[in-house]
Amino acid sequence: MADRMLVSTRKGLFTITRGGSNGWKSDAPAFLGENVTLTFRDPRSGRMHAALNLGHFGVKRHISDDDGDNWSEASVPTYEEHDQIITGDGKEPEPAALKLLWALEAGGDDQPGRLWAGTGPGGLFRSDDDGETWTLVRSMWDRDERKNWFGGGYDWPAIHSICIDPGNSRSIRVAVSCGGAWISNDDGESWELGTGMKADFMPPDRTEDPTIQDPHRMVQCPSAPRHLWVQHHCGIFRSTDGGRSWSDVPAAKPSGFGFAVAVHPTRPETAWFVPAVKDACRVPVDGRFVVSRTRDGGESFDVLSDGLPPAPAWDLVYRHGLAVDETGEELAMGSTTGGLWFSDDQGDRWTCLSQHLPPVNAVCFV
Amino acid sequence: MATVTAAPALSRWINDRPAQAGPATWTVEGQTVREVLDRLFEQQQQLRGYVLDEQGQVRHHVAVFVDGIAIDDKRSLATPVTPQSEIYLFQALSGG
Repeated sequence: MADRMLVSTRKGLFTITRGGSNGWKSDAPAFLGENVTLTFRDPRSGRMHAALNLGHFGVKRHISDDDGDNWSEASVPTYEEHDQIITGDGKEPEPAALKLLWALEAGGDDQPGRLWAGTGPGGLFRSDDDGETWTLVRSMWDRDERKNWFGGGYDWPAIHSICIDPGNSRSIRVAVSCGGAWISNDDGESWELGTGMKADFMPPDRTEDPTIQDPHRMVQCPSAPRHLWVQHHCGIFRSTDGGRSWSDVPAAKPSGFGFAVAVHPTRPETAWFVPAVKDACRVPVDGRFVVSRTRDGGESFDVLSDGLPPAPAWDLVYRHGLAVDETGEELAMGSTTGGLWFSDDQGDRWTCLSQHLPPVNAVCFV
Repeated sequence: MATVTAAPALSRWINDRPAQAGPATWTVEGQTVREVLDRLFEQQQQLRGYVLDEQGQVRHHVAVFVDGIAIDDKRSLATPVTPQSEIYLFQALSGG
C-alpha cells in the first residue's frame, strides 16, 4: 500500500501523505507557481524526477534523492541542429526543440541507469546514466511514418505513454498523440506499428492508418504484459497480443471518449476510465462526473459516482490524472478544475481530498 | 564592455543565488548580441538553457532588449552592441 501520492499541477507539485481527517494530508508544495507536467519516482533507486514547463524559460527536469525534501536541476533531452518537426497536417517544418516532457519511465532491474523519456515534439529519448545524458532514439525518429504524425492538443506530436514489459525490459510499447502505438522487442533497435485503431475524424481512406492514430493514453498490465488498454480519441481499444492488434470496445459507457485509463496490476480484464462527451465537447456527459470500470475485458462497464460531486460537475481528468496502486485496490484521480479524489475499493466509493488544487496534470502513488 | 541584466523572474533560477536577490547583472565583451551572450554563457552555463533553446534561438517567450529596443533577429542575434550598451533579458508577458 502506497504511503504517498504525488500530484503534479499547473501551479506546483503537491505531495499527499497518509494522515489527517480524511485519511490524507497535504505537505508543503514544491515548485509553487510552476507548471509541473509530470512527476516520477524510479522504483529502483527511489530518486524522484519532476518535469517542469516554465513557459518562458523552457522545459526543465529536477531530481530529488531525499523523497522531495531537496531538489536540484538535472539535464533534459535535447534535439540536434538538423532535427525538424515535420507533421502530416500541412504545417511548415520547423527546427525541433524540446517543448514538453510527457513521459518518464525506468528501464528494467537488469538495466541500471536506464531511463526513457517521451517528449513533445515526438522524440523518444533514452539514457543509460540515470539521466546525465540523453540520446534521441533515431530508429523511431527517422522512420518515414513520423512525417504523418501531427499534434493532438498541441501543435506538434508528443509521446505520453511508455510501457516497459516487467518480464522483458527489451520489450517496449510507446504511444504517440497523434502517431499511433509502437512496439519494439529489441530494446528500441527496431519498431513496428500496432493496427486496429480507428480515427473517425480522418478522411475515410485514412481512418485505419496506424501512423496517425491518437491514443490519448496507453497502459499495460504489469503481470500480464500482453494485455494493454488505450483510451483513444475515438473510443476505447484493447490489445491481448502485446499491442500488435487492437480491438474496439463498443460497450464503453456513458461514452467512449476521454483521456485517462488505468489497468489493474494483476487482473488485465479490469480497467478504469473517466469519460467525457466527445472530442468536440470535452466535459462529463450530462454534467455527471463519473468513473467507468470494466472487470470483464470491456464486455460491460460499471458507472461509478459514489463520493464524486453531484451534477452539474464539469471536471475533466487528463491522461496522467488517474492512477491505480500496486495492489489494484486504491485509485487516485485529479481533475483540471482542481479536484482530487481517492478510493480504496476499486472506485466503488470515492473520498474528496481537495476541491481547490490548481489544475491537475498528473497523479501517481509512491 | 556591455552590461547584461537578467530580470528576477529569470535570475531566480540560477543555482546558489538567493531567491529574493533581484535582477542579476554582468559586464561582458562582444560586438554583437550573439558574442555577448556566448561569453556570458561561458561564465553562466546554466543560464543558456533558459534564454536559448537547443537550436541556439532565443526562446519564443523570452525578450531581449538592447538599449531599450527589442531585437527582432532572435535566431541570428546579429544586433550590434557597443561597450555602453545595456542588454536586458526578461520574460515576454505572452508566455505567462
